[in-house]
Amino acid sequence: MENIYVPDVVKIASVKDETYDTKTFSLRFTEPDRWSTFQYRPGQFVEVSVFGVGEAPFCLASRRDGRETFDITVRRTGTVTDQLHRLAPGSHLGVRGPLGNGFPFEDVKGRDIVFVGGGIGLPPLRPLIWEMLESRADFGKITVLYGARTPADLVYKDELELWRSHDDVEFMVTVDMPDETWSDNVGVVGSLFPHVAIDPEQTSAFVCGPPIMIKFVVTDLLALRLDETDIYTTLERHMRCGVGKCNHCLIGDKYVCIDGPVFSYRQMKMMRDPG
Amino acid sequence: MNRPPAYIISKASLSAWVEELARAATVIAPTAAHGADVVYDVVESAQDVMWDYTSSLTPLKRFLFPQIEPLLRWRPSPGNGIEIEPTYDETERVFLGVRSCDISAVGFLDRVFMRDREDAYYLARRRRTTLIGLACTQPGENCFCVCADAGPFLDEGYDLQLIDLKDCMLVDVGSEKGAALVEQSASLFSPAPLSLLDVKANLKREAEAHFGEPKAYFSAALRKVTFDQTPDELWEQMADRCLECGGCAFVCPTCTCFLTADWPAEQGGERCRLWDSCLYENYASEASGHNPRAQRMDRLKARFFHKLSYQFAKPLEQHGCVGCGRCITACLGSNDMPTVTARLRRGAL
Repeated sequence: MENIYVPDVVKIASVKDETYDTKTFSLRFTEPDRWSTFQYRPGQFVEVSVFGVGEAPFCLASRRDGRETFDITVRRTGTVTDQLHRLAPGSHLGVRGPLGNGFPFEDVKGRDIVFVGGGIGLPPLRPLIWEMLESRADFGKITVLYGARTPADLVYKDELELWRSHDDVEFMVTVDMPDETWSDNVGVVGSLFPHVAIDPEQTSAFVCGPPIMIKFVVTDLLALRLDETDIYTTLERHMRCGVGKCNHCLIGDKYVCIDGPVFSYRQMKMMRDPG
Repeated sequence: MNRPPAYIISKASLSAWVEELARAATVIAPTAAHGADVVYDVVESAQDVMWDYTSSLTPLKRFLFPQIEPLLRWRPSPGNGIEIEPTYDETERVFLGVRSCDISAVGFLDRVFMRDREDAYYLARRRRTTLIGLACTQPGENCFCVCADAGPFLDEGYDLQLIDLKDCMLVDVGSEKGAALVEQSASLFSPAPLSLLDVKANLKREAEAHFGEPKAYFSAALRKVTFDQTPDELWEQMADRCLECGGCAFVCPTCTCFLTADWPAEQGGERCRLWDSCLYENYASEASGHNPRAQRMDRLKARFFHKLSYQFAKPLEQHGCVGCGRCITACLGSNDMPTVTARLRRGAL
């Protein structure tokens, strides 16, 4: 009998420190055949079990490629993430997924793409950025704007350099509070918009980050005359079961875990928690 | 004309029937509990079954979706690192003498747990469940199933429905499972004469008349909740009366919010799911500390939106209330369904 609550077992293949409080874990199924059926889309997520502590949702943070591993990037914030951060390669975890809807891809082919990431909001965008770069000819201009509170809060530092040096990507990074080594932009991520050319008719935007950042960036994008249906974001809620049963992630009658977590701004605007 | 088959069983034969049922399954029936309480519980003998009761303290929910339910066990394994074994309850259960509201609620639970993605735990229990209803000829003082289209007599949802005709029980067959049950104890049942259909119709009319004034004026509340036409002040006032005890959710036959918890043991451990209540302060809290429903009135409003809005009634084919009246007993702040719908209907304060 298929059981939506029973995780698959994965082994931590490697752990990488991203920042002082954030690590990326590469995970590999212990059941060798599982990888081939684990077909996922950028924007989808998994429920990760640290057995004995509990489950928590994390976005799939890597492009599905030949490595047969997938990444989650985890900030230490609660009981599950706290324990996760103590684990070394070789430790075992449970994974349920892929869950949720994922970002549109085919629908935005032929368009200019703007990615706007804030802090720990870059991980859900990362696989989509790489996937679009893989089929580069299918898209117009690709712009990646990334902001964090301080230089120490930037994740995927190596990849940022790859995007910066990529001929086909316009990449800009900014921090709210620079340190003495910082020579790049200073300010919130929205302060980068005046420095990039955006054709509102031609552009689809993907925005991920903390709620307050999403709010300001969406306002900026609407001011640039982007259509509400061309702005996509992922919503955060405490998705406990991930399969639309436990009700914890409800916003009005929408389950973030199965109707989302990716929504267009138009959809988001229509969603209202009755509270 | 085809009509669903009906039988009669004499009251004197009920004991023998209960004993036959108990040979093949665990029989759960209304039975005397603490004080004057009646609860659905396992009955050891036919004498324990209460045939004359108004409603039970709690619904059937805890047998199909227990308050604490083991989901799986994990243990270290040399090959796979961790071995996971789901734990299913495969007890065969016959629920006997169940009130119509509670049978209707099982239909609701079926859609919650079996629509889209099947819940294997619920399914395992449900497949091994037989529902024998007892139509309500004398509703209790808090009952309003008649407002919720969930009683007092049912046309579907049961395997068998018993109707008390004083000296015998009329037995409506609602499913193949029910028909097979009659077949198994064929000597105890005889076909019901057609004349009893009129008797049944009269009893139903009488039962409906017993309800008196409608208790829950649903339709205005449904419309206002669906279209978000409820003043915040009203929710604020009602929220002031809520103690966040979760009692309403726990006695409610259609409330199904849950969370999971891990119990580590020396070698491995067990993951269980537990009932939760959307009125609890940290129901929606995130690890970051952000709480999207920080205000109690937000949570109260969300609860009744889930129960009453068309947005939820449509996929679930039913509103989230069967009129059992248990929240009237449970809620110390009178935020029960009839009171809340009445206040929503009046609108003004």
